[in-house]
Amino acid sequence: MLFFSFFKTLVDHEVTIELKNDLSIRGTLKSVDQFLNIKLDDIMVLEEAKYPHLAAVRNVFIRGSVVRYVHLPAGAVDTALLEDATRRGMFPEFLAGG
Amino acid sequence: MSFFGFDTSLPRDRGHPAAAPGFSQATDHFAGLSNVDDDDDDDGIDFEDTYDGLGDKLDEKDDAFNDVTFGALEEAIGKDFDFHGATARVADAMEEEHEVFNRSARNQSVARVAAAPTQPARVEPPTHVPVLRPDMSLWGSGPTAAPQPEPQPEPAPVAPPVGRKILSLEEVEAQILANNEQRHQSSFQQPPAQGRQLPPQHQHIPPMVGPQLHQYPPQPHDLHQLQSQQFPARIQSMLQRNQTPPQVQHHQIPEHHPGAVSLQQQRMQPMGQPLNPSRNQYGMTNHVPTPQLQKMTEAEKARFLEEESKRLKRNHKIAQLARYNGLMTPADKNFITRIQLQHLVSINNAEDNANEDFYYIVHSAIRARTNPQQPLNQFAQTYLFRQSARGRNRQQDNHLQRMEQQVQRAVAAAKARPKASQLVLEGSLGKISFSNVKTPRPMLNIKKSDAPGGEPIRRTQHSTFSSADRKSLLRAIENVYDALLELEVHERERAKLPILMPDQQPQQAHVEWAEKRDQLAAKLWKETKIMEPIDPTSTATHPFIAILSYSKMKRAVQRIFRHLDPEQRVTVLTMIVVHLGVLDVVKHGVYLPDETQLPSAVREEIEMFAASVLPPLLGYVYEAPLSIVIGLLGILLERVDVVAVSKTKIGLAFLTMFSSRAEIVKQAGGAPENELQQWQMMYDRLFDSLQEHWMECFPPGMFVDDVYVWQFLASIAVGANMPQQQALVSAVKDRVMENVRASKTLPPELGAQKSANVNLFMRAIGLDVELLG
Repeated sequence: MLFFSFFKTLVDHEVTIELKNDLSIRGTLKSVDQFLNIKLDDIMVLEEAKYPHLAAVRNVFIRGSVVRYVHLPAGAVDTALLEDATRRGMFPEFLAGG
Repeated sequence: MSFFGFDTSLPRDRGHPAAAPGFSQATDHFAGLSNVDDDDDDDGIDFEDTYDGLGDKLDEKDDAFNDVTFGALEEAIGKDFDFHGATARVADAMEEEHEVFNRSARNQSVARVAAAPTQPARVEPPTHVPVLRPDMSLWGSGPTAAPQPEPQPEPAPVAPPVGRKILSLEEVEAQILANNEQRHQSSFQQPPAQGRQLPPQHQHIPPMVGPQLHQYPPQPHDLHQLQSQQFPARIQSMLQRNQTPPQVQHHQIPEHHPGAVSLQQQRMQPMGQPLNPSRNQYGMTNHVPTPQLQKMTEAEKARFLEEESKRLKRNHKIAQLARYNGLMTPADKNFITRIQLQHLVSINNAEDNANEDFYYIVHSAIRARTNPQQPLNQFAQTYLFRQSARGRNRQQDNHLQRMEQQVQRAVAAAKARPKASQLVLEGSLGKISFSNVKTPRPMLNIKKSDAPGGEPIRRTQHSTFSSADRKSLLRAIENVYDALLELEVHERERAKLPILMPDQQPQQAHVEWAEKRDQLAAKLWKETKIMEPIDPTSTATHPFIAILSYSKMKRAVQRIFRHLDPEQRVTVLTMIVVHLGVLDVVKHGVYLPDETQLPSAVREEIEMFAASVLPPLLGYVYEAPLSIVIGLLGILLERVDVVAVSKTKIGLAFLTMFSSRAEIVKQAGGAPENELQQWQMMYDRLFDSLQEHWMECFPPGMFVDDVYVWQFLASIAVGANMPQQQALVSAVKDRVMENVRASKTLPPELGAQKSANVNLFMRAIGLDVELLG
């Protein structure tokens, strides 16, 4: 759930999604779900010449399982908070007990 | 086998014939069809036999112009010709139409008179009228309706009954204008002062117009008209818009009748339903009878019309939605509800949520704090359900509460169910694992061994903490973070407590909260290891200082400081000051003889220390009383090699911190005399120990950032007496001159920066760089 929680904060930011078929798509993140399926708007394929059939596509829904990387906008990531979130994710039972 | 090749076996030996119906055979419903195909030789009818070949004789060579002759057939063929079908579908509506028509037909002559003057051509020969009059027999009602339009054909003679001759066009227009104005000003029942033909109009128009108002399909232009126009004016505008010649008016009247309108509606509706007169096409009743409208005052009428248009708008909306009615079966709906409920059960688990969705919740909160004018759109949407629904109106509240209760019950039920993440069915080839929103089906299932191996090791590490290795130090830092997070979460929970008035006794919840807070703060304090005794003989670093050498811990200091009381804060400060010499940023912050730049890792650590650790300490010192400053400087001079410390940025920052705070207290006045004397002694000791070493404070190289040194020198110079100042100036004179020279060769803004740095010091001794020329 950490990644879900994290990606939710990136909604309306521009991200680049690299798929397992080497396609890279840049677009505005519109929504994400717990399977990390992703909806992108105003997309642009990075190597447009290679994938002309995608030139006219404006928005996509990407199944979470086909994503290889998500390039994040550095400014939108709160590293310290992410560290804390990781800590909380690790010891839920410890925290619940304490 | 028989001689003639017959099958000699008896039927009972052959068993059940395959083609015969029986228990073991599935009935083939299409068996008959296939049979037909099989034996079409036997059937007499064959296409080739019956076809007369006429089609071959057709002349098809001129088909090219079919389009021109018959019109292009690109559009789909409409069903306009299906008169009987269309009529049959709306038979019910037409019955009603006739009824209404009959009722109003009695008044038609008058109504027509009212409408007729709108057009100048009313003196046309009446012979045209019967041609255009609707033939009622066509609509299936026969003789009842047909005779009624009879009195209509004489438009002009009937209208002005006595006295008046035929009016001229101008007269008629003037009359109409006057009537309209009057009607706009007065209410409906006010008797008009105009011509004698008007009273009947007032009585009789409403039955015709009223139902129309209610029964008309709520189309935009009707809404507009309802809002903006009064009825008579409306009729006129309608007539003008349609460019209707006067003769057609009779025809128009039935067209505007409710029945006719609902006929249109019927056509628009895919599934024709029988209409009942008091309901419109969406089954909503038209509750306000028209005569009421007449009795209303102007304001009431406006309000009524507004309401009416609102209602129509609503109906329109509902109608648009109603298109999708019945798409889902109850089973479908149940299925969806189950999924949604399951979703809610797993995400609406409040205490889990804080952990699971920690990043999102806190990130949104921080973002909201940094720009409060931007509403928490998404956050509100996501967590609106959890946040209580105060400040909404009752009805919604009720729904929400009910929903919330249901969800709570569902959550409780789900919790009560035994939690098995998977199920092994006998005979199945694998495990069936249940997944829900939060825990999608796990791909890996690694069994965590609750082996007793882990625990004892950790315990031994705790006990041998003093000989700390990297791993246990990192573990210690993590413990600090855990305690810190726990405390922060608890702090956040204060928002959920009821708000206390200043004079109110704290409630049970507040007391408990405060107790828990203190407990957690104590835990945090313990985890920092700061209270471990200082052993001056030991060579090992104090645990607090040891963990402070990690940037992770440096980052935490600022956050920890918030939760400490003043006594604990001064303890932290003292601890750092005592160990200033062994602090990593000071120890590694000294430039080696041949070094012009520190290693990047050290620089990063120094930056981190300056950014995270110094600010809270500075904040504390700038409010500390003089006695504490004296005490801290005393410890520093006693325990630490001041000369070595002064060669580093962080070391100088501490010295600057103390001397400038003391100077501020001194100048503000009000400090006790003995403290000032003590401070003077401390200052002199510091000055003496740094004498001859002033130049060593500067980092090597000319074009480096040395502003912190000038700040330090300035803070020292402010408190210096005359001989001390002279010593100071003579010590750093060369550096001052160098900087001033360099500032002139450098680009303007860099040069200005450099001379400004020097000026910090020069101003402190009452000089200025400008004076040096």
